[in-house]
Amino acid sequence: MSLSTTARPVRALRDLFATARGRDRLTGLVMTVPAVVLFAIMMIVPLVLSGYLSLTDWDGYTAHPAMVGLDHYRSLLHDPEVRQAAWITGVLAVVGTIAVNAVGLALALAISAPSRTNTLLRTVFFYPYVISALIIGFLWSALLSTNGAVNSALRAAGHAGLPFLSQPGWALASLIGVVVWSGFGFTLVLYIAGLHTVPASLLEAARIDGAGRSRILRSVTLPMIAPVVTVNVVLTLVTLLRSYDLVLSLTGGGPAGSTETAAYLILAQSFQDNALGYGSAQSMVLTVVTGIAALAITFLRRRADERAGA
Amino acid sequence: MVAEPTTGPPLASRGVAPVIVPAADLPQPASPTGPGRRRHHMLSKASFWRLPMLLLAASFMVIPLWLLVVNAFKSEQDVREAPFGLPLGRLTLAPLRAALTDPDFDVVRAYAITLLFVLLVNVLSLVVSAPVSFVIARGTTRWHTALLLLFVAGTFVPSQVLLIPVVYVLKYLGLMGTVTGFVLFETALTLPVSVFLYSAYIRTIPRELDQAAAVDGLGRLRTFHLVVLPLMRPIVATAVILHSLSVWNDFANPQIILGPGSGLYTVTTGVYAAVGKYSTHYEVVFPNLLLAVAPALAFFAIMQRHIIGGLTSGAMKG
Repeated sequence: MSLSTTARPVRALRDLFATARGRDRLTGLVMTVPAVVLFAIMMIVPLVLSGYLSLTDWDGYTAHPAMVGLDHYRSLLHDPEVRQAAWITGVLAVVGTIAVNAVGLALALAISAPSRTNTLLRTVFFYPYVISALIIGFLWSALLSTNGAVNSALRAAGHAGLPFLSQPGWALASLIGVVVWSGFGFTLVLYIAGLHTVPASLLEAARIDGAGRSRILRSVTLPMIAPVVTVNVVLTLVTLLRSYDLVLSLTGGGPAGSTETAAYLILAQSFQDNALGYGSAQSMVLTVVTGIAALAITFLRRRADERAGA
Repeated sequence: MVAEPTTGPPLASRGVAPVIVPAADLPQPASPTGPGRRRHHMLSKASFWRLPMLLLAASFMVIPLWLLVVNAFKSEQDVREAPFGLPLGRLTLAPLRAALTDPDFDVVRAYAITLLFVLLVNVLSLVVSAPVSFVIARGTTRWHTALLLLFVAGTFVPSQVLLIPVVYVLKYLGLMGTVTGFVLFETALTLPVSVFLYSAYIRTIPRELDQAAAVDGLGRLRTFHLVVLPLMRPIVATAVILHSLSVWNDFANPQIILGPGSGLYTVTTGVYAAVGKYSTHYEVVFPNLLLAVAPALAFFAIMQRHIIGGLTSGAMKG
């Protein structure tokens, strides 16, 4: 290592001041340690601890919980509530990610040209991003509940009203709808930025070659913005896999647990039932699934790029 | 579209155009046919749908906000009977005043507390993450790369999932239910984004500047402090915007770490306490929600360009 570094003229120059170099190293350490310690205590240790706690029956109070081995992992395989939450989280994450990105991309294509109207529209589509998911859930629950604004309006128009949040299938659909409403603006903003990186000359060339709109979209635009698609899909998926605030305030997990997500189960149930060991086991599984999903998409994307390049 | 007639397409396009143009469009009247003419027709059809689609989407976005605002100034009866209406004669400030003076939830105090958390987290995050980013950006060994990857991997760890073991750690350290514990955890959650953005940005600052400073006798710390840090202003602004929004809007972390026992309510945990019980009592719900979103929306209205720009530049680096 010292060989290769001394080979560089800068390093060689610095080596002339051997003491200063030593001091620089020390300074580097001082600059690194606070961040690493904080990160270790609040992220790495908890992650490892989560693995340990998942093997115990920790109730949130005792300092030395008893070991239960892999019992939690075994029982969560058969726990109907966990299985339902896993299913709901999967549906929400997959359908939500597709819908959020489809709507975001479609509208980005429609308003990507720079103009005053388009800037205003971008703002209108994006604003929910700055509002807390908890508040968005409360707002939509006030709009969609049985006596909410939408149903009041429907009844005033002579309609019987719709069970947006009061029937299981409807509630999950409403949850996904609100996810799309509040989330597509973020992807839209990134898609617009991505579309602006597509060289106009390339589009023009395709047009001269006689490609129609959809053909240009398929063969030029989409491949050019593929990295943005990956970023958007991964970010949306990771966010949706951990949905909690919105579920809590929109449906409270109901009706009949039909909108209970994994994160909701972990936070709302395990704290309430003092079953933090069991909650930790669920946390571990969710963390691993999230990591695998994010890595898999990035990997597949990269391989597709390589194949396209080859 | 202006260029349309001049881009008279070569023969090749004849094979493409008929596939795309729907059969129904073909027997359109007159027009000096040719593929170029047809394509023009298709474009105008697409733009015909564009406007209604955008109007529909925009109203979907705006109507909930409209309902939130107008219903905060209406009586319970008016909310229930005509939620979309704006009864100019009967608008009232009473619900808003009631929300502001609610003894269970002091919203002004919640603003102050949340703002304090936002400030503390941002300051601490900058103090801790900027130096390490400098070391990473200027480092040449694989240890520096590994350190960067370690921090960035934190992005994919769901914070909700960390909460249980963090509660354990904080209890062990005696920091559970304290501002210190909450701010430390919340700051740790900002590190992945901060370190990622800062180290990428510092790489764009020429090393020659560091070397010039070294020649002038500045040590590494002072080089960072006096030369590099001042140049980082734009990216610090981006990070501050992102972290401010995430701390201001966070709910699960303050709810569990601070807990109802601490008496410290942020805007979100306060609204949860105030609205959760009365979720069908709209005279309580709408004014509280309006008070909760107003600062964030005002911040957005003022900082819009920076928020969207910062977000874009941040994510595009990924």
